[in-house]
Amino acid sequence: LSESKHEPGQPSHGCSAAGEFAVKLELASDPKLLGIARAAIEEMARCAGFSEDDSYAITLALCEALTNIIRHAYEGRTDQGIQLTFRCLGDRLEIILSDNGRGFDPEEVEIPPLGELRPGGWGRHIITQVMDEVQYERRQETNVLRMVKRLNRAERTGD
Amino acid sequence: MQIATRQAGESTIVDVVGDIDLYNSPEVRKVLLGLLKEKRVPRVVVNLKSVKYIDSSGVASLVEGLKVSRDLRSRFILFGLSPAAREVLELTRLIKVFEVYDNEEEALRGETPSP
Repeated sequence: LSESKHEPGQPSHGCSAAGEFAVKLELASDPKLLGIARAAIEEMARCAGFSEDDSYAITLALCEALTNIIRHAYEGRTDQGIQLTFRCLGDRLEIILSDNGRGFDPEEVEIPPLGELRPGGWGRHIITQVMDEVQYERRQETNVLRMVKRLNRAERTGD
Repeated sequence: MQIATRQAGESTIVDVVGDIDLYNSPEVRKVLLGLLKEKRVPRVVVNLKSVKYIDSSGVASLVEGLKVSRDLRSRFILFGLSPAAREVLELTRLIKVFEVYDNEEEALRGETPSP
């Protein structure tokens, strides 16, 4: 979103957590907390070495996933738990979101025909556009959404 | 997020500042639909210049404003798309569905697009 001379794979600012690292967060399913989650996610993406643009896109995709959990898995309840595991593995970032809400497979959400005026359903489209891998799994009573974003995607695809 | 309205001729300008997400998109929706449905303003012009973050919840509010404006035969215009607003409208390919101008002057001058 902004021009920068950032080198892929290098933290885009003076981040002491550069290199491989893992962070676990737990937040309540309250939309009021999405702003705080965004700040944390964007900072972690930058520390993992993503550019400002990619860090914003990753933040957007993750917040779409969090929004889906709040709306669909927890059906608007604001006092439930969402776990977010963020692992920087050198060449890629792996993010796992888990919740104990209603079984909710994001793939069941119909993506509206792009450009059409539908009231929703774009969240899933945004997630699949931004992330390189997206997998959903129901493990006993838990929804587990695993997403991967590779660091050098832009170089590989010339995107 | 802050949202305020002001009048410029027949246009009602809606200035949105900050983040639009699941938490505050209902407020955006309420303001837009209030102007269109209750106040019956002929021209709603939304200023997105200072929107730092907007996700599909925010886009849904804008889409609803556009749909209602079409039903009521009023105008619904966006201008000054911040990088965040442009990103989400491009990802959803809705950017071509909206009437979009670069700045306020162009948005206020904007002629009625051909049907």
